[in-house]
Amino acid sequence: MTMQPTTYQLPSNEDVAGLGTTPIPAGPYYRDDYFELEREAIFRRTWIQIGHVCELPEPGSFIVRPIEVANASILITRGKDEKVRAFHNVCTHRGTHLVAEESGNRASFTCRYHSWTFGYDGALRSAPDFERFYVDKSDCGLRPVAVDVCAGLIFVNLDKSPAQGLGEFLGPIAEQLETLSISRATTFAEYVYEIDANWKLTFDNFQEHYHLRFIHPRTGAGARGPDNPFAYPVKFDFYGPHRTESVWSNPAADRLPIQQFALGRLAQIAAADVSRNSSHAKDVFFLFPSLFIQGTPVLPFVHSVMPISATRSRGVVRLYWIGEDDNATESFAREYSMAMARDVHAEDRVVIEAGQRGLNSGALEFIHFQSQEVLCRHLFHAVDTMVQAHRAGRGAAGVVA
Amino acid sequence: MSTTNFLLPAGFEALEPFVKFWAVAGATARAQRRNDCSEQERAAFYDTAKELLAPALAYLDRKPLNKFDEKEKRLMNMLLSLAHVVQAVEVLAQDEEKHAEARRHMKITRATADLNS
Ligand code: FES
Ligand SMILES: [Fe+2]
Repeated sequence: MTMQPTTYQLPSNEDVAGLGTTPIPAGPYYRDDYFELEREAIFRRTWIQIGHVCELPEPGSFIVRPIEVANASILITRGKDEKVRAFHNVCTHRGTHLVAEESGNRASFTCRYHSWTFGYDGALRSAPDFERFYVDKSDCGLRPVAVDVCAGLIFVNLDKSPAQGLGEFLGPIAEQLETLSISRATTFAEYVYEIDANWKLTFDNFQEHYHLRFIHPRTGAGARGPDNPFAYPVKFDFYGPHRTESVWSNPAADRLPIQQFALGRLAQIAAADVSRNSSHAKDVFFLFPSLFIQGTPVLPFVHSVMPISATRSRGVVRLYWIGEDDNATESFAREYSMAMARDVHAEDRVVIEAGQRGLNSGALEFIHFQSQEVLCRHLFHAVDTMVQAHRAGRGAAGVVA
Repeated sequence: MSTTNFLLPAGFEALEPFVKFWAVAGATARAQRRNDCSEQERAAFYDTAKELLAPALAYLDRKPLNKFDEKEKRLMNMLLSLAHVVQAVEVLAQDEEKHAEARRHMKITRATADLNS
């Protein structure tokens, strides 16, 4: 384990200047036409995290998740063969959403409309009066969706034949994520929020610490120190479209009495189990397009920002834990941990919406990122590269003049 | 008043006056109590509960969570409400009222403590 220097050292401007220093166009953060391009160029063809294997504990377990940006509803099943499969939650008879529940356990799925029944493998098992149809049952299976798991997290890709597998998409980050306690989680706490803001503007808030002292003067007080008043991270790394930062922990953080007690207990519980300690516990992972993963054993959470429209998104925050609450102390400490994270995110949500209202006016042609907002810049580049490539491809194919 | 009238396990009598308001099931309800209390109410609860938190958890830790009797359940639920109100008293302080409005949009959909019973 490497010791953290006690004196904070700011990552140098030169380290990140390779990503550019120019202003960033504001349009992509509010315009409908840009969002339509993102929908096609990114969300219909990239890996999107949608759940955790702990939600599929046994054969027959299933979950259903919306992906609004693709107008999709995805059914994920665990079969008798233990295999995790994903399908469009769409009955192949006439398109009805097949499963209305968000989760459960079933041997088969029967459509409410005309009772077509499908197995966990997506095959059409039975359909009333089927001899009057003009199609084979074998052609009526649920439409499969590419699915894979990394660090316990379930990802799907809506592209019929994804250009990259999940492993290739995540690259070296996959191995780092596997070391986190999240990969062995068996349960989670969750809070969700809706926000009138673009998904990038929302996600960017969590990719910079510049705002911390202004937006979290109290809830973020422990993160700041005299030699690092902005609580900037110690390091950034870039992996293709993904990025990470290593957070700085204030050696002289002034903890409050019960806060100290609760976080101390969580730290003790984690320390007692070597499998929960990762060399990446102080790293934050920002997976393309919009998944935030923080591995610290005291506050291990995954925050997904799902786009709904150009100026509306949904955030889902989950604190992933190993084991059900073992005793009263663990219950208390986990409840505190959730309340603490929720308080911080509540403050973020308000100011992100204010930012969106300003951008929607069209008053700005450009926004600006400083060197410590380089992760935001990196996301924009990753998005815009894909959007421009998609646009060029469409142009070449003659679809768009 | 005989001991049978107490709502909490013996040793935690000082918390009895707080049972009615704070001993509620469900994280959403507990978070809502934090919103619904006055500054004086949360200060009084915090001041009394602060010293009793460690002994109360030690007491409850002797039993599996799903084996709690009614008194123990109440005590547990109160402590879980404390987990929310700590943020108001220790962290947000005079910013708590303004913060409550921001929090309204953060909907708790699942808490591990609610999976215990
Ligand atoms: S639409 Fe599903 S059975 Fe007819
Ligand atoms: Fe923030």
